[in-house]
Amino acid sequence: MLKISLQYNWDNFHADYRVNISSGVTTLLGASGEGKSTLLHLLGGFLDGHGVLDFNSESLLALAPYERPISTLFQSDNLFPQLTVWQNVAIGISPSLSLNTEQKDKVSWALEKTQLVDKADRFPQALSGGQAQRVAIARVLVRNKPILLLDEPFSALDPSLREEMLYLVREVTEELSLTTLLVSHLPQEASLVGGNVLLIEQGKVVAHEPVSVLNQIPAHPLFVDYFGKSSQSL
Amino acid sequence: MFSLRLYQGLTPAILGVGLFLIMGAASLAALLRYSELSNWLGYLSQPYLWRVIRFSLWQALLSSGISILIAIPVASCLVHRRFFGRSFLLQLFSVSMVVPTIVAILGLVVVYGRTGWLSQLFGFQIPLYGLTGILLAHVFFNMPLAVRFLLQGYDLIPSGQWRQSSQLGFSRLSAFRLIEWHYVKKALPGAFVLIFMLCFSSFAVVLSLGGGPKSSTLEVAIYQALRFDFDLGKASFLALMQVAICTLFALFVYRIAPVNRQDVSLLSTERYILKDSFGAKASDLAAMLCVFLLVFPPFIAIFDPVFSATFFDTLLSSSLWKSVMVSLQIALPAAAVSLLLGICFGILARFCVGRKYLSFLPNKIEHLGNMILMVPGLVIATGLFLLLRDFGWGLQSSYWIVVWVNAVMALPFVLRALMPVLYQQERRFRNVYLSLGVRGWSRWCLEWTLIRQSVAQAFGYALLLSLGDMGVIALFGSQGLVSLPLYLFQLIGSYRLEEGACVAVVLITLCLVLFYLSSRLIGGQKNVKN
Repeated sequence: MLKISLQYNWDNFHADYRVNISSGVTTLLGASGEGKSTLLHLLGGFLDGHGVLDFNSESLLALAPYERPISTLFQSDNLFPQLTVWQNVAIGISPSLSLNTEQKDKVSWALEKTQLVDKADRFPQALSGGQAQRVAIARVLVRNKPILLLDEPFSALDPSLREEMLYLVREVTEELSLTTLLVSHLPQEASLVGGNVLLIEQGKVVAHEPVSVLNQIPAHPLFVDYFGKSSQSL
Repeated sequence: MFSLRLYQGLTPAILGVGLFLIMGAASLAALLRYSELSNWLGYLSQPYLWRVIRFSLWQALLSSGISILIAIPVASCLVHRRFFGRSFLLQLFSVSMVVPTIVAILGLVVVYGRTGWLSQLFGFQIPLYGLTGILLAHVFFNMPLAVRFLLQGYDLIPSGQWRQSSQLGFSRLSAFRLIEWHYVKKALPGAFVLIFMLCFSSFAVVLSLGGGPKSSTLEVAIYQALRFDFDLGKASFLALMQVAICTLFALFVYRIAPVNRQDVSLLSTERYILKDSFGAKASDLAAMLCVFLLVFPPFIAIFDPVFSATFFDTLLSSSLWKSVMVSLQIALPAAAVSLLLGICFGILARFCVGRKYLSFLPNKIEHLGNMILMVPGLVIATGLFLLLRDFGWGLQSSYWIVVWVNAVMALPFVLRALMPVLYQQERRFRNVYLSLGVRGWSRWCLEWTLIRQSVAQAFGYALLLSLGDMGVIALFGSQGLVSLPLYLFQLIGSYRLEEGACVAVVLITLCLVLFYLSSRLIGGQKNVKN
């Protein structure tokens, strides 16, 4: 159980997130600029918030980014261009890249799982966008941290590939019983990965419902505004 | 889209660049005309020549190597840690390039010299005159420069990489090995070549601290050939050797340099915390201590004698104020000429940006301006002197020669300050200007508010470099033409260090005031930097 009660102020933006998230996938929806990524950055420890942040009754707030039980997939810059695919995954186990046999096996397992075995010695430039994000997922697999944060990592991919990646995320989440938070601007993505949805508006969690809420006709009262906005912007 | 009117506007710029080229070519031609090719083989068999070349190479290699070795941990520490005095240190590093050489030499003599601080405090003395002194001075000047080069390399690291390494728990060592080194090593060849060339052609440092013919560089040998032997053939031969070695070296290093892999990141740089450790703390401390011991004492030493009685006596002497006047008479026109030349280069280069058949030119034009770094100023000056003598101008031409050579020597720095903003303006607004028919002077008036800050910076650099110049003036300085640096050089030469310190303080004050004024008057009130 991830217990969040975090405040963060930046210029005129005053965020106050209060929500308890159980394991499985939770999709964060909301229009752009409402504070979805801010929440992820607060959880990752890249921004300093104050309040309460507990995971399984342990406080994470005072921990440095590298001490938190978290893996993050960002929209870009997940891979180090100067390292090979294999090294990019291995670095999730040991930052100094010195691995024992067991750990090396683990890297191979993750590469197999993400269908990247034949790309192990390539550099990220030689990969397509989808392959690059699969490398990042392979790293998540070897790191084996209980919380996974995804900040629109697939928004640059075409629809079929995106769908494939989302299934992979769902599979990984179930297999390793992770607490996964996915930031998205597409309600369809939430339906694909299942679980729950959070609606974020102006730095606040305004709704926390099972994903089925998105399919209600007429729309759930809390989501009327969001759908209205997104259809206008299309 | 060819239109004659478009090209007509370029006439002044082409004239400016043309003047630069013609002057350069004519002075080299004049020099070659006075030298006997048949003598050259004779020079090649002189052991003296080879000794000079060997020493020039050796000290340049050592100086640039040591500077860079110290600079790497210093740069890493400056990136990762925030501490009291950090921004001051960065400021200090950024002005170290334009601190007049001779002032720093004075500082070194006060600290390490025979009766210096070191021998007074600890009773021991290092042999300042010779290789040690040269290395100390070169590292003092070039280590900060190397740090700035490396920091530019660090700027290219996408912040996403720091974010990742923060989450993955990299130690400083892993971060250096896996991230920083890949970017640092791209900045290294450029830094190494520049520092090597600056040290290879170092003049004032070697002249003051060389301490005899044993440790002489090519540049000093040229000076001696010109000033004492007036042997033009030898001077031009040595000059050609100098240019040839610099070129070969640059080609060699760029050849073995790693390929530049461009990464794109949309994220602005923020600071991400890495795992700290005892080892990291210790190495940072060592690096900072190194900086502290190397860079600070000479700076402080200059201000040591401010409260002595000699200070005020010197302040009142007429020869000091005469040399202040000479310095101003040289530096102000030299900076103006340099700026004008820079603008000519800039206009020509930006005109060619993005034009089908000319797009290869901008780089070439910039290189043309930078080439001056490889040609010794003394050589251009001598060639110019000979050229003007052919036209019936005798020694009275020396003032103009000093001004012109100072102007062209500052050109690379002017270009570096000016070009980026000129290119940017061109890329952003070319089509708007074209469609509105804004050309020539009216375009300058429109752009002025946007570029004035860079213009001020360019002018300020040129001004400081000319104020501190101790190259051409050493060759052409005479009774009536003694600039502040030359005066200071003469004082150090006769061990009148206290008076020298006073002159140094005046020189530095002059530099600061003029730099401030130029950024205020040209750069505008709001935009004053430093």
